[in-house]
Amino acid sequence: MKLENEDVLDRFVICHQCYTLHEEIPIKDGSHACCTGCGGILYRYDTRLVDHGLALSMTGLVFFVLANAFPLVEIELLGVGQFLTIPKTIFSLFASGFYIVGIICAFLIFIFPLMIFLINTLLFTLLKFRVGTKLSKELLVLLAYITPWSMSDIFLVSILVSLVKLIGYAQIHMGVAFWALMVFVLIDLYLVKYIHLSEIWMLRKRIILKEAIK
Amino acid sequence: MIEVDENDLMRCPICGAVNIDKGNKNICRRCGSNIYKHRNFSTEKSWAYLITAIIMYIPANLYPILITNQFGQAEGSTILGGVVLLWEHGSYPIALVIFFASIMIPVLKFLILFYLLISVKYPLGNDKKVSKHKLYYMTEVIGPWSMIDVFVVAILAGLIHLSNISIVAGTAATAFAISVFFTLLAAHAFDERLIKEKL
Repeated sequence: MKLENEDVLDRFVICHQCYTLHEEIPIKDGSHACCTGCGGILYRYDTRLVDHGLALSMTGLVFFVLANAFPLVEIELLGVGQFLTIPKTIFSLFASGFYIVGIICAFLIFIFPLMIFLINTLLFTLLKFRVGTKLSKELLVLLAYITPWSMSDIFLVSILVSLVKLIGYAQIHMGVAFWALMVFVLIDLYLVKYIHLSEIWMLRKRIILKEAIK
Repeated sequence: MIEVDENDLMRCPICGAVNIDKGNKNICRRCGSNIYKHRNFSTEKSWAYLITAIIMYIPANLYPILITNQFGQAEGSTILGGVVLLWEHGSYPIALVIFFASIMIPVLKFLILFYLLISVKYPLGNDKKVSKHKLYYMTEVIGPWSMIDVFVVAILAGLIHLSNISIVAGTAATAFAISVFFTLLAAHAFDERLIKEKL
């Protein structure tokens, strides 16, 4: 295979599921390209990715605050009411001396999801106003490191599992934060798992090229 | 003009850009990060994490993960004991979820990583019956789900602490959390380029 220079490699893409090499072809706006080997999604083309990303990451932040400020569930056990919030889950682990689990949980369900959404908000703002190309590169690298460690979705499933365990022992009322967390997880799934990071890299390149032409 | 062999192209694990494999030191042309710089001891890091995870998985199964204090009586239950208890109480779906999350997924992950790490050193399973890249991708996707049990313990411990009835986490919770943490590290440290199926 002959290449003119290294930048031409941007026309190629390697499937992240089965490592097959593909050449990129232009596709219709809003559609996606699939791998011939395994059917996994290679890349998408969305002209309004900046607006979508910015809107979703800001909405996500609002719902994240709601999910942390209000009780997730309230239970009534032996006539005594108890409630649970996300910070309380972490602090009760510290209070009972489980520092390692506490730290791990704090990072997985609080710090990393918050960081991801803050970084995404900043990143899409930078791309929207076409400034700070160097900073956006650093942010994308940082994002790649922390994305695998954000586990809000798993935490949501854990809440459901633990509530099923409590059925029969206590009366359970869902709190405001539970629904907020649900919305947050849906946004998180779309923004972090559905949109590949390479699409944001491609978007960044398009924006830099456009600026260079001007 | 540069002449490149297709097999020399690789994917940056951080940003996904296609790069040319130049030998010992590879810096991604798009994001500037090092691409698996420890080539002289490529699998050792992953092995070390995997063995740590397996060692931590032993106390995770032996010690109680959840201790219930009911009217002055403390009662601990292990991971497997909890699954059996749930099954006997008739909550089959939850028993299955816990069983899959805390027993099946970690063990499956250990086995897959073991197989991958051995197969990159010795000619094993090159007949393409199962794609190793797909196996690796699967471990990355299902891996975090074993944290369910730790989160459930954290939620129950945070929710139930009355004077008569309280639930606290047990030693196994720490061991299990560390075990999952190290399996995730082991999977991330694995160099995907060592899988050479196309040769």
